[in-house]
Amino acid sequence: MKKTCQIVAIAVFLLFIGGFFVLNIAMPDREFSQQENKYLQMLPEFSFKALFSGKYTKDFEDYTTEQFAFRDAWITMKARCELLSGKKENNGAYYCGDTILPDFDDPGKEEIDRRVDYVNALAEKVDTPVYFGLIPGSTEINASLLPKNAPADSQQTVLDWAYSRSRADANVDLQSALGAHKNEYIFYRTDHHWTSLGAYYGYTALCESMGLTPTSLSAYDRQTVSEDFCGTTWSSSGFTWVEPDTIETFVPDDGSVTVLDLEKDPPQEGPLYVTSFLDVKDKYSMFLGGNSALRSIETGHDGPSLLIVRDSYADSLVPFLLEHFSRIDLVDLRYYRGSLAGYIGENGFDSVLVLYSVPNFTTDQNLFLLSM
Amino acid sequence: MVFSSILFLFIYLPVVLAVYYIVPSRWRNLWLFVVNLVFYGWGEPVYILLMVFSICLNYVSGLLIGKYVLTDRKKARLVLVINTVLNLAMLFFFKYFDLVARTLSAIPGVRIPTLGLSLPIGISFYTFQTMSYPIDVYRGDSYVQKNFIKFGTFVALFPQLIAGPIVRYKDIARQLDERHESLDQFANGVQRFIVGLAKKVLIANNVGMLWDVYANASPAQLTFVGAWLAAVAFSLQIYFDFSGYSDMAIGLGKMLGFDFLENFNYPYISRSVTEFWRRWHMSLSTWFRDYVYIPLGGSRKGLPRQLINLLIVWSLTGLWHGASWTFLFWGLYYAFFLILEKMFLLKWLDKHKVIGHIYTLLVAISGWVIFQQTSVSQTLVFFRAMYGFGQAGFCAGRDLYYLAGFGLLLAAAIFASLPAGRTLFARLPEKLRSAAVPALIALVLVISTAYLVDSTYNPFLYFRF
Repeated sequence: MKKTCQIVAIAVFLLFIGGFFVLNIAMPDREFSQQENKYLQMLPEFSFKALFSGKYTKDFEDYTTEQFAFRDAWITMKARCELLSGKKENNGAYYCGDTILPDFDDPGKEEIDRRVDYVNALAEKVDTPVYFGLIPGSTEINASLLPKNAPADSQQTVLDWAYSRSRADANVDLQSALGAHKNEYIFYRTDHHWTSLGAYYGYTALCESMGLTPTSLSAYDRQTVSEDFCGTTWSSSGFTWVEPDTIETFVPDDGSVTVLDLEKDPPQEGPLYVTSFLDVKDKYSMFLGGNSALRSIETGHDGPSLLIVRDSYADSLVPFLLEHFSRIDLVDLRYYRGSLAGYIGENGFDSVLVLYSVPNFTTDQNLFLLSM
Repeated sequence: MVFSSILFLFIYLPVVLAVYYIVPSRWRNLWLFVVNLVFYGWGEPVYILLMVFSICLNYVSGLLIGKYVLTDRKKARLVLVINTVLNLAMLFFFKYFDLVARTLSAIPGVRIPTLGLSLPIGISFYTFQTMSYPIDVYRGDSYVQKNFIKFGTFVALFPQLIAGPIVRYKDIARQLDERHESLDQFANGVQRFIVGLAKKVLIANNVGMLWDVYANASPAQLTFVGAWLAAVAFSLQIYFDFSGYSDMAIGLGKMLGFDFLENFNYPYISRSVTEFWRRWHMSLSTWFRDYVYIPLGGSRKGLPRQLINLLIVWSLTGLWHGASWTFLFWGLYYAFFLILEKMFLLKWLDKHKVIGHIYTLLVAISGWVIFQQTSVSQTLVFFRAMYGFGQAGFCAGRDLYYLAGFGLLLAAAIFASLPAGRTLFARLPEKLRSAAVPALIALVLVISTAYLVDSTYNPFLYFRF
């Protein structure tokens, strides 16, 4: 090797490692990453206790990686490299052109049985009619977009099996309602949730189960509230060049609705749409304001009362339900630690809806609380 | 600390190199001694004490043996025996105690509690490395190192501390006293390090994901194609991981003025298992040859004795790889083929070269399945699918998906495990090579950085709901 070549080779190497050493010191640390929607590791505080427990070195190592200069760009580059190498996925999400679909693993029949049994236990325990709804996820509805032979398991199989074992008063046929409109914009392309339109079709399925008459789609005043929603699969995949989604609302928030967050002490009153979330990454949380152990909504309408055992899909469904009920409560088993049957009895709900997306239903670790 | 991390590449290494070249050369060993301990203690600070103990023990033993070796052979021998026993006891205690405790506890009435100690990183490497020094002094193969810092630098030398190559004291004794860092050597070191980084971060980590996909597959899922895909992926992963690490170690050594011996020499092109082990983890095979096989008599005491010696060496080689009976079995598996080759197979293979290649690859790839599967039943699931067609048939849709997704990477990895790439590159015109080297260095650095930054990419998602 010629001497100049050697010098250039050494220079490239040293400038790269030395350059980023300096850059990383010079650039300010970020506390929060919008792209990842998480708090980043800050410089850990030194103590001998932390050092000998191994916590200090681990945190410091996370710190070096999470505060690395131009982190977001590196992550996007890695996603691009994966696609260039012939892969069709990155970090558990499939790249399907303008849509990103999360992977799904069927946990097997035994596991599904175990979970459905919690729903059955609730149905037996309470006198109130219990409706059971499983929402097929984006990956199922958009399966035709998946890369060829992609090993994502069928959610329909899981759903069919779960319904066949369910002893709830009614199983809500969400899959037909969504399946019939699968070419419409019913799931976000960059997020795992259904869009408000998807939630509307879910609402029609629910109405059919509950014997309600749904409002027709054309009667709503559709408003676009955001055109730059980059959701969860956008974050996890690193496919950050995929175009952002649009968020719509169908039912206006006219102020007649009272949303009480009972997790807070004292209970905190909030609007139907928390528009401040539209200014941050986590825009879907504008529906009711995101996760909370327990919310109680006074709708301002006449009608029966409903308790929804929820995951976040329910938040964008609730606006459609307002006109049919006087009160809707939403309980989140990840945070709620009371007796569910007790709460239902105390408040005399007219019906209970256990509503989960299939991916959440197969993975959530708190479903056993249904039987408590 | 590992080389393939942001912390090492962008903090530790620039600081170590900068200070190393700024200070006068007489301070360089001391600087290395200090940063070696930081490197070693990063994961488990307490184990620095273990390292220091190991350095002191062998340093003192070396001094004593050096003192008596010419005057009182018996005393020297006694020190050597005590030292070797203590070294092995330390290795046994930290690495094998729980295995023995669990095994003995399987006997009714026996109950030995396990300790659950975390394995001090690199203990298998540095124990072997350190032990070799008093033995070499006793044998007269090496001088006594009177300087504690120099000896400590040898034991804890960070490039090869945690994954080899196993450097024998006699091989770098002179370099500890006097080494002449040069531009040429540094440039070679950079290139070598980059080759290793690419092997580890770009190839090994990625093909490893393919093995992970299949490793725990049930018999009903694992097809013929799937099982082979996974087994080949792991064979490539372990080669690129391990040899990549050795390349990085050798490269770092060169940057600091050391020349370590080679550790890998394209093992997958071997035509016999005997040849495979001359090309795979050469520093380990050499160590066992010099410090176990030959002292036991090697092949000089007749065939039966030689076979016993081989069985001993390969049992130990197997167990060295991990504290589990799986590894013992894996070692004996190789002993079986090596003995077979010694008896007659090698001569026959010499005349049937193509068959030799195929046979060696089959033995090695199947061996890795034994090596990596933690349960015998899962190993059998794989062998059934690989050799007898599993219940799941020949090929499934997901196999095609992974073949399509990993095909390019696998092809590149297979190509890179042959010497052809290097040969072709050497044939390029000088000018082109001169331009290509810095460009390739930059490319590998950029892409590796992207993968390393992404490795902790674990976004908090409201995904679960």
